[in-house]
Amino acid sequence: MWFRDFYPKSTPKAVKGGIKAQSKTGAFGKSWWAKRWIEVLESFNIGARLGRGRSYARKGQVTDINIGPGKVTAKVQGSRPTPYAVTITLPKLTEKDWEKLVAELNTQAVFAAKLLAGEMPQDIETAFTKAGLSLFPKSLEEIETGCSCPDWSNPCKHIAAVYYLVGEEFDRDPFLLFRLRGTDREMICGHLNTGSGNAAVAAEPEPSVAPEPLPEDASAFWASTPLPADLCGEVRLPPVSAAGPKRLGGFPFWRGTDRLLDAITPIYSRAAERGLALFETENVTPHDTTSAQS
Amino acid sequence: MLLLQCGFADGHCLIWGERNLRPDDPHSGAATKRTSPHPFAATANELNAALTAKGTTSQSAMIWLPTIADTPLPSSPLLGESPTGTPKVKPWQVAAVVLETDDLLGFLAGIGDRPTLAPGVGVGVTLRYWGEALRFASALVAREQFLPDLVQRGKKWFARWTPTIAGADATRIDRLARAMPPACRAIGEKLPDRAANEVLREFVAFAVDRLVRGPLPEKPRKQFDSIHDDWLHALKSATGAMLGSDTDVSQLATQVREWRAPIARAEAAPFRLCFRLDEPDEKDRRQTWEVRYLLQGRDDPSLHIPANDVWAGKASVARTDLKPILLAGLGQAANLSPDVDASLKTATPAGFSTTTDGAHRILNETAWLLEQAGFGVLLPAWWTGHATKQQLEVTAKVKSPPMSGGGGLSLEDLVQFQWSVAIGDQELTLAELQELAKQKASLVRLRGKWVQVSADDIRAAIELLKKKPAKIAARDVMKLALGITPEDTPLNARGAIASGWIEGFLKELTNATFAELEPPAGLHASLRPYQVRGYSWLAFLRRWGLGACLADDMGLGKTLQTLALLQRERENGEKKPVLLVCPMSVVGNWSRETARFAPNLSLLIHHGPNRAKTKAALKKDATNAAIVLTSYGLLARDQKLFEPMKWSGVILDEAQLVKNPNTKTAQAARAMTAEFRVALTGTPVENHVGDLWAIGQFLNPGLLGTATAFRREFFTPIQHHQDARAMERLKRLTGPFLLRRLKTDPTVIRDLPAKIETTEYCTLTREQASLYAAVVNELDKELGDVQGIKRKGMVLGALSKLKQVCNHPAQFLGDRSAIPNRSGKLTRLTQMLEELLDAGDKALVFTQFTEMGDIIRRHLQETFAREVLFLHGGTSRKQRDAMVERFQSPDGPGVFLLSLKAGGTGLNLTAATHVFHFDRWWNPAVETQATDRAFRIGQTRTVQVHAFVCSGTLEEKIDEMLARKRSVAAKVVGNGEAMLTELGDDQLREVLALRPNAVED
Repeated sequence: MWFRDFYPKSTPKAVKGGIKAQSKTGAFGKSWWAKRWIEVLESFNIGARLGRGRSYARKGQVTDINIGPGKVTAKVQGSRPTPYAVTITLPKLTEKDWEKLVAELNTQAVFAAKLLAGEMPQDIETAFTKAGLSLFPKSLEEIETGCSCPDWSNPCKHIAAVYYLVGEEFDRDPFLLFRLRGTDREMICGHLNTGSGNAAVAAEPEPSVAPEPLPEDASAFWASTPLPADLCGEVRLPPVSAAGPKRLGGFPFWRGTDRLLDAITPIYSRAAERGLALFETENVTPHDTTSAQS
Repeated sequence: MLLLQCGFADGHCLIWGERNLRPDDPHSGAATKRTSPHPFAATANELNAALTAKGTTSQSAMIWLPTIADTPLPSSPLLGESPTGTPKVKPWQVAAVVLETDDLLGFLAGIGDRPTLAPGVGVGVTLRYWGEALRFASALVAREQFLPDLVQRGKKWFARWTPTIAGADATRIDRLARAMPPACRAIGEKLPDRAANEVLREFVAFAVDRLVRGPLPEKPRKQFDSIHDDWLHALKSATGAMLGSDTDVSQLATQVREWRAPIARAEAAPFRLCFRLDEPDEKDRRQTWEVRYLLQGRDDPSLHIPANDVWAGKASVARTDLKPILLAGLGQAANLSPDVDASLKTATPAGFSTTTDGAHRILNETAWLLEQAGFGVLLPAWWTGHATKQQLEVTAKVKSPPMSGGGGLSLEDLVQFQWSVAIGDQELTLAELQELAKQKASLVRLRGKWVQVSADDIRAAIELLKKKPAKIAARDVMKLALGITPEDTPLNARGAIASGWIEGFLKELTNATFAELEPPAGLHASLRPYQVRGYSWLAFLRRWGLGACLADDMGLGKTLQTLALLQRERENGEKKPVLLVCPMSVVGNWSRETARFAPNLSLLIHHGPNRAKTKAALKKDATNAAIVLTSYGLLARDQKLFEPMKWSGVILDEAQLVKNPNTKTAQAARAMTAEFRVALTGTPVENHVGDLWAIGQFLNPGLLGTATAFRREFFTPIQHHQDARAMERLKRLTGPFLLRRLKTDPTVIRDLPAKIETTEYCTLTREQASLYAAVVNELDKELGDVQGIKRKGMVLGALSKLKQVCNHPAQFLGDRSAIPNRSGKLTRLTQMLEELLDAGDKALVFTQFTEMGDIIRRHLQETFAREVLFLHGGTSRKQRDAMVERFQSPDGPGVFLLSLKAGGTGLNLTAATHVFHFDRWWNPAVETQATDRAFRIGQTRTVQVHAFVCSGTLEEKIDEMLARKRSVAAKVVGNGEAMLTELGDDQLREVLALRPNAVED
C-alpha cells in the first residue's frame, strides 16, 4: 500500500496523567452495551489502526473527553506538539421517539429497575426495536467522526482510542449512551413507570443544624447521660475486602498509574484489622493490684 | 486528684485535665487578659505522666467553662466544692495533649467504664464519652464502612476517608449524639455553639480517616502524573492535603461525587428494599417458599410496605414516591440473585417463589450477599435466632454402676459410653441418618420445624453411631454435661445422659441437689440455714476433688463456712494441712476466727522473720497443723518451700487478687499440689468475665480451656459483642463451681439478724510498727519520773499518739505525706469498700480525728474516683442537710465519712448497710449511738458493723478489756482510755507492748 511510505510510523509524544483505559489487555468493555458500542467501531475495518488506538487508550494519550448530547469531543496527544481534536457525532432521537420508547419500557419492571440501578437492561435493544428505533447506530453512515490529524483514514487511531475509552465509560454509566442519543437519565426515569420522577432518589439537601449554645449551668454542662446500649452493632471483619468501592464500580475516566481498586483494596483490609483490634482494646489496668498486697 | 477530660473541635481531639480546686491559690490576673490560664488545669507534664503514652505532642488550648467569680467550675465534686453564684461560660487556657499516636487511640478506646486509670487519676465524663465515640468509629472501620473522598476546608482540598453511615448506624449515631455532655464540645477559639450531632459526626469522620490512614502515613509526593495519583498519594499521606491545581482538584471533586452518587442516594432514601423469606404452608405438599419484596423504613425498621402497595400507589409516605426506590433496589439486587432478575419480567413484581433447595441457597448465600449490599433481609426466626438454631448434635449416653454406699468412686473412674445423635429434641437413628444422607436435602422439616443439616455433619454422625461402645473417664462425662465438646468430636456435643452413679453425681452438680450435711461436731458456732447449704456445697465439691468458688456477699460468713469444711475434713481423719492464702491485712482475722469457731484446728502462721526458711523446717512446723496460713506476698516468695508439700487443700481468700493469671502469685497458687481447692471472694466475679479464667484455672485446671481459647470463645464475644449465647454457655460451664448469695436474697435475708457486728483485725505496716515502738520507748523513758496528773496527761498523750500511728503514719507525723500502702487499716478499709461498692452497697465510716477523715477521704476519692462525703465539726447545718439528702438518694455518693463528734447524733442515714469504726472511742455507748445512724427506723436491710482494731497493739488490749465487761458496758459510761491511766507502770508496759505477728511482712 502506497501510503505507508507517505506517512512513516510515528511515535506519539509521551503524556503524563492522560486518561488510561482500565482494561490492561484483551478486549475493551465489560458490559454488553459497551461491547456493542465497540463492535460498531470494529466493523469499520480500519486494520492496524484499531490496535494502535487500543494502545493509545491504554497509554493515556487521550487527555480529555467530553460526552454531550449527540456528540463526543476529545483531545488526543499524537506525535505533533499540539494534541489533535477528535469528534464523534451520532444522530439524536426526537421527543416523539423517546415517548414511544418509554411506553415500551414500561411493560416490564426490569427496564426501570435496571436503569435506576445504573445498568443498561439486557433486553433494551428489543424494546428499541419494538418502538421502531435503535439504541446503537444502525449503520456506519450514522456515525460521523472527525480528527485534526493528517491521517487520511477516518476513523484514525486517535478516533479509535477515544472510541474505546467512551466504550469503557459506558461500562460505568450506561446513561452516557442515552446522553449521546440526546436525552438524559432524569428524562428517561421521569417518564418511566416511577410516578413523579426520581425525587426520592435525589440526595436531599443537608438540613441546616440549629446551633446548640453551651449551657451556663454546671450540672447541665457536665451532664453525662447513660450511653445507649448496643452502640456499635455486630462487629466482624467483612468476608470480602473493599466491597464498597467494588459495588461503585470504575471511577470516571481514571488517570492514575495503578487501578483505583488495586491501590485501595490493601488499604481496606489493613484498616479493617486495625479497626477490629482497636474495638477490642482491653481495659488494661495500668497497675497490678496483686503486687500492692503482701 | 486529676480528672482527665477530652474535647473535639476543628479536626483536633485534645486531652486535658482538671485538678483539685485549691482555694488558697492566688488567681492570676483574670481581669487584664482576655483568656487566663485555667487555675486548676493539669500541666502538660502531669498529663503525660497520667497518660503513660509515648511520643505525644502537647499544645495550649482554649476551653469554655461555666465560671463563677473567676473560678472555672469543676466537673465533679471530687475536685472540691464549687463557689456559689450564677455561672457564666468563660474561656480558659489549658495544656492539652493531641490525640494522634496509636498509643493514645488505644488508650482512649480502652477507657470503658472504669472510674480510674491509676490511684489519683480519674476518668472524666468527656473522656469516657469520646472513648465510646472512638469505639463506634472503630466498629465502622472494622466493617469497612468507609470510602475515599475529597473535602474542602476553607480554600484547600484534602483527600479523606469518610465513613458511610446508614441504616441502624444512623440511628445509633443520633442516639450517641443525644448522650453527649456539652463539655465534650467546649473547646475552641470562639465560643462553641455547634450542635452535638454535627460535632460527633465530625469526630467519627476524623477518627475513621485517622484509623484508615494508619500509624505510618507516607510522605506527601510533590510529583504526580495525574490528579488521580495526587489523590491516591494524599489518601495515604499524613495530612491528606491535595497538591494539584485548583481546576484539576475541583474537577476531581465532581468525579468523586459522581462516583459516590449511588451510595449517597441510598443513604438519603427514606426506605430501603427488603426481602422476606416465608416458609411453605404446612399443608403445602410441593413446599413452595415465597420471597416477598418490601420497603423498610430507614428510621423505623419495623415499618414495612409490601411491593404491591407501592405499585398500587397506595403507599405514599410524606409525599415521596416510593416506586423509584423499589425499582432501583430491585435493579441492583438482580445482579446478586437470578431469581430477582427473573421476577422483573412483569410490570409490577412483588416477589418470587422457590423450592426448598432454592430456600437453602437463599438462607446460606443470597441473604448474606443482599445484606452486605445494604438490603434488608428478613428470614424465619428459626434461622436467625442463634439460641434456638437447631443443628445436628451429639449426646453421650453413659452407663455406670449404681451408687453403692461404700463410696470410693472418683472422677477418674472409667465408664461405658456411646454417642447418640439428635436434632433439637428429636433423636435420630442410624437408619434415619442414612435416609437423610440419601435424600441429599439440606433443609428438612422435622416435626413441623425446618432444620438445616449439612452433608458433612450427617456423615460424621453416621460414623459416630457406627462406633463401638467405649470407655471414658467420669471427669470427661462431667465436661460433656457442662457443654464442652471434646476436641476430637466433629459435631457439637450437647451434653450427657447418664445412668447409675454418674447420673446422680451430675444431677447433684448441675441442679445443686447435693445432700445437706450436719455441721461438724467440733465447730463452735451454729450455722445459719444458708451457711449449712454453703458448707455442704463446699463438702460436695471437695468429695469429688473439684474446685469451688464461694462468692457470698460480704458479711454472710464465708470464713465460717470454710472453717466448717476444714473441721469436717479433720473429723473425717484428714492428717495433711490445708494451705490458706490471704492478704496480709486479714491474716489476723483468720487466726482469730479459727481460734473462735474451730479451736481444734491448729493453725500455723507462716509469716514474719521467724517463719520456716527451709522445706524441712516448714514440713516439721506443719506436721501437726490443720491450717498453714500465709499471705499472697509470701506465697510467691516462698513458693519453693510450699510446692513440695502434699496439701490436703489450697484456699485463696480475696481470690479476686489473683485475677491476673500472669502474676507470680497466681502462678504460685496454680503450682500447689492439693486434693481440693477453694477460692473465696466477695466481689461479683460473674460480672468480671476477664477475671474468671484465672480463678477457674486455679480451681479446676483445664475446664475453661486455654487462656487464648477462653478469650476467643467467651471473653471477646461477651465483653465486646454482647453475645448472649456465649454468656449462657459460660454460665453453664462455671455455674456448678460458683456460689454467690446476696444479703438481699429472700432465702438469706430471713436467716440474718438485723445487725451483724464484727471486729476486723488489721496489721501494722513496718513503718507503723517502728513508729509505734518509738512512741512506747519514749513514754517508757519518761514514766518513772512523774506522778499524778502529769503522769495521767503523759499516758493519755501517748495513747493518742499510738492511736494515730495505728491509723496512719501521715496522721501521726502530720506532714501531708503520701498515703497509699502505709496503713494496714486503710488498706483493709479500701479493700472492703471496693467490694461493697462493687455490689452496690453504701457505707458510713466513723473516725474521731478530722485529720484522719481528710486522709481517708482523699485516699478513697483518688482510688475509686467516686465522691466521698465528709461531715466534720466545721460543716454547716445547711451543708450537713444537703449531704444527708444526697447520701440517702439512690444515685448519691456511696461512702459517708463522719467524725464521731459531729455525726454521732440526730442523723438518719438508712441508705447505708455497712458501718465502719475506723478508730475507736472505747466507749460502747458512743459507738452504738453512731452505729444507730444506719440502724434506725426505716432500715429494712441487715446492717453490718465493722470495728477496726490493729492486732497486737493497745487497740486490741482495750478491745479485750471492754469485751470482758461488755455485760455491764451498756451502763458504764466509762472510758477505755481512762482505765489505762489507772494501771501501774509494769501493767501499762505490758498493755502497750507490741505483740509479735502484728506487723506485715
